[in-house]
Amino acid sequence: MYGFHGRFLHVDLSTGRSSWRELEESRLQNFLGGIGLGTSLLYEFAPAGVEPLSAANPLIFTSAPLVGTGLTTTAKYAVVTKSPLTNFIADSLSSSFFALELKRVGTDALVITGRASSPVYLFIEEEKAELRSADNLWHKSASETETLIRAQNEDPAIRVAAIGLAGENCVRFATISNEGRHAGRGGVGAVMGSKNLKAIALRGHAQVPVADPRGVAAIAASLRERSLGTLTAKYREIGTVANLAVFNQLGALPTRNFQQATFDHAEAVSGESLTENNFSRKQGCASCTIRCERLFKSLSGDEQRLEYETLFALGPLCGVHDPEIVLQAARLCDHYGIDTISTGGTLAWAMECAEKGLLPEAAEHGLRFGQGEALLQMISLIAERSDLGAVLAEGSRRAAALTGDEAAYWAMHVKGLEMPGYEPRSLKTMALGLAVSPRGACHNRSGAYEADFSGAVDRLRGDAGRGALVKGSEDFNATLDSLIVCKFLRKCFRDFYSESAELVERVTGWRYSDADLRQTGERISTLKKLFNIREGWQPADDWLPMRLLSEPIRDGVAQGVELSADELREMIESYYRVRDWNENGFIPESKLRQLGLEV
Amino acid sequence: MSNKRPTDDRSAIILAGGRSSRMGQAKALLPFAGEPLIAHIVRSLKELFADVVVVVAPDQEIPALPVTLVRDEVAYQGPVSGIYHGLKAAKSDVSFVGSCDVPFLNRTLISYLCSQIRDHDVVVPYWEGRYQPLFAIYKKSVMPYLHAQLQRGELRPIFLFDKVRTRKIDEEEIRRFDPDGLSFLNMNTPEDYEAALQRWRQLHRTNTTEDQSIVCTVELFGVARLRAKTKAVTLELPRNADLVKVFFALADRLPTLVGSVIAPDRESLVAGQACNVNGRDFIRDSTTKIHSGDRIFIVSADAGG
Repeated sequence: MYGFHGRFLHVDLSTGRSSWRELEESRLQNFLGGIGLGTSLLYEFAPAGVEPLSAANPLIFTSAPLVGTGLTTTAKYAVVTKSPLTNFIADSLSSSFFALELKRVGTDALVITGRASSPVYLFIEEEKAELRSADNLWHKSASETETLIRAQNEDPAIRVAAIGLAGENCVRFATISNEGRHAGRGGVGAVMGSKNLKAIALRGHAQVPVADPRGVAAIAASLRERSLGTLTAKYREIGTVANLAVFNQLGALPTRNFQQATFDHAEAVSGESLTENNFSRKQGCASCTIRCERLFKSLSGDEQRLEYETLFALGPLCGVHDPEIVLQAARLCDHYGIDTISTGGTLAWAMECAEKGLLPEAAEHGLRFGQGEALLQMISLIAERSDLGAVLAEGSRRAAALTGDEAAYWAMHVKGLEMPGYEPRSLKTMALGLAVSPRGACHNRSGAYEADFSGAVDRLRGDAGRGALVKGSEDFNATLDSLIVCKFLRKCFRDFYSESAELVERVTGWRYSDADLRQTGERISTLKKLFNIREGWQPADDWLPMRLLSEPIRDGVAQGVELSADELREMIESYYRVRDWNENGFIPESKLRQLGLEV
Repeated sequence: MSNKRPTDDRSAIILAGGRSSRMGQAKALLPFAGEPLIAHIVRSLKELFADVVVVVAPDQEIPALPVTLVRDEVAYQGPVSGIYHGLKAAKSDVSFVGSCDVPFLNRTLISYLCSQIRDHDVVVPYWEGRYQPLFAIYKKSVMPYLHAQLQRGELRPIFLFDKVRTRKIDEEEIRRFDPDGLSFLNMNTPEDYEAALQRWRQLHRTNTTEDQSIVCTVELFGVARLRAKTKAVTLELPRNADLVKVFFALADRLPTLVGSVIAPDRESLVAGQACNVNGRDFIRDSTTKIHSGDRIFIVSADAGG
């Protein structure tokens, strides 16, 4: 077999036993690797209705066919499990050297089930998997854990993915982190913590041959060259923080828990200002020519990585305009291992509730929009699950349910996952993408906003044409996430499906057409939905927070623009139609058969 | 135009160190009547005053001018600080104080204000219910009062007027020299700027081609802003101009953008850059017409992240 090892490692933490299992070639052809393979394994290994933080919920790490081929931006891995935030699928990506090492230990996936009786870490070297005590790692941050495991084993080449304090405490939006990067959304770190699994440490030398090394090298060279052109200039020269000032001008920057679509102090926290005042250096993942990461220096001299979503969520969404506070808040989130979007979203909910008198405990902590010190204090309390932090660690949906009915109106989430930094009322295609995504309010599993930013549609008015755009975007992203190729390279392909199908052929030796690849993308998207349906999905889950459907935008260029329930419903119906699902969003048998997904 | 020689017993002080935040670019450098606005104002005042002082913020860019340049020690402290430092640098005891955003200087009115100083410390016009402290005459005798105001944090000049001998010039007096109060027409926004340009053309109607031009603002984001080292530029274009004309003029103004933001043919943007007009619509067709007052955003075409 080329491009894959053709097997995966199953580790049962309850018994401490591990076993190698074969991966059938047909499954790999149907789902590739990454999130596709992860979803397929999740569907098989998660008992229906499994409680996300129970021993039975599988935590799945997957590699992918392009990993290790030298193709730019492909050093990535996926983590797939049932989300403790949404009770639906959680599929997260992270990248860099851990991803390369995962493939080098000779496996296409790790399926981890059970729960260790005391804290452990999983050490895999070559063929051998071993559970080791993590007593001395417990309560350490992910990066401290990485350092300690390397030191204990006297091997600086060991690669580690770990959880921080928040994961140990099962904060429902905890991350898994490696080399400063995070599998961030959906609470995968909480699942790992619930298993008493502190870290996974890898050391391997296995090589996976590709079918046509010369052919792969030629495409790799061409893509490398294209990755350095004007199409990626934003990522190479300023990073994703560039979004903030633009979104503000477009009335698309969620501010103060979506009360506003522009931020009075946008300039102070814009990517341009940060670059001018705080830029420290840029860096990139392993095997990447784009190098989009930006490290900014705070007054204390500490460096902190910042992306747009973190900047938006801990800045404008919480009414914070001091870059120092945002940098400190981001550092704390990284240190404890919590998702910055869900952290900002949950805190913004608490701030609004405090201001409206619904959450006196938050008011006592001084939690109000723009109050940076209170925000920093609360991040630590969340990670520790102490005081009000124990409530906020549940995420905005559960925290609102604990607070009372009225508070739910201000909780800005879809399916329990907090909203990213794209204002749905002024980005109507994105509104649909956010409503129907199997992962919840997610900007990465569909790039529906691209249509809104293209000039091809009226971004302020939804219509029945948006279903096809969102379907196309979801399937495209499912394909990228399963090959795996970074989204920041996506525009560098001349024709994505035909070029990528050729890549799959040259890596695996299979005959694989662009039509095959398109169907694979659709199959993966559909299986995610099928998993959610099995876990209790109902049509009401594909919806947006009431605030967005009740209040018009009140500021900026989109002032007065509304998103009506009818408008959203029309778009959702068009989406179900173009997916060949029934009018309530359930998948007919005929569609499952067409995609080879018969249960 | 005055045929008199400029006086050397009076100085002129121009405050040019404001933030220009609503304009989106340095007001002092806005093109006006074929030159940067600050140069236009200095040239006009040089006909009255031999000694002209320009007060700017630390590190502020300013073209070479025949003036005494004073850098305010603390940026953006407000007009009191600017007046104080201007008076300190002025060679004469009496100074006219103006700002860099008032293009229609009425020299007859300025001369009249100067003539009224006599036994006063300040001569200040009162127009449409407001004092006009940045079109007024000050003696050096007010400096201790200004200094004390700065210490107390009283940053508005009008606090001075009831402490010193102030001659208030009321509207009726002003209208004798400046019936429409054009002297107080300052510019804070791109719209103000455009209106001022239009008015200038009406007053100096010599060229019909110029008269039919439009003015738009191009705001730069991300890569474009970092490369150009500026947030916005104002472009004057022929009526009926389209985006092609905008890109061409922008390339002319900011050649550093050619290749990285503007395509080498100067008629379109490179792949990866997009254009939005007035924050509303993303425009893909370069032949789209531009209207006077339009704000054109040059942004990354990729909103991912």
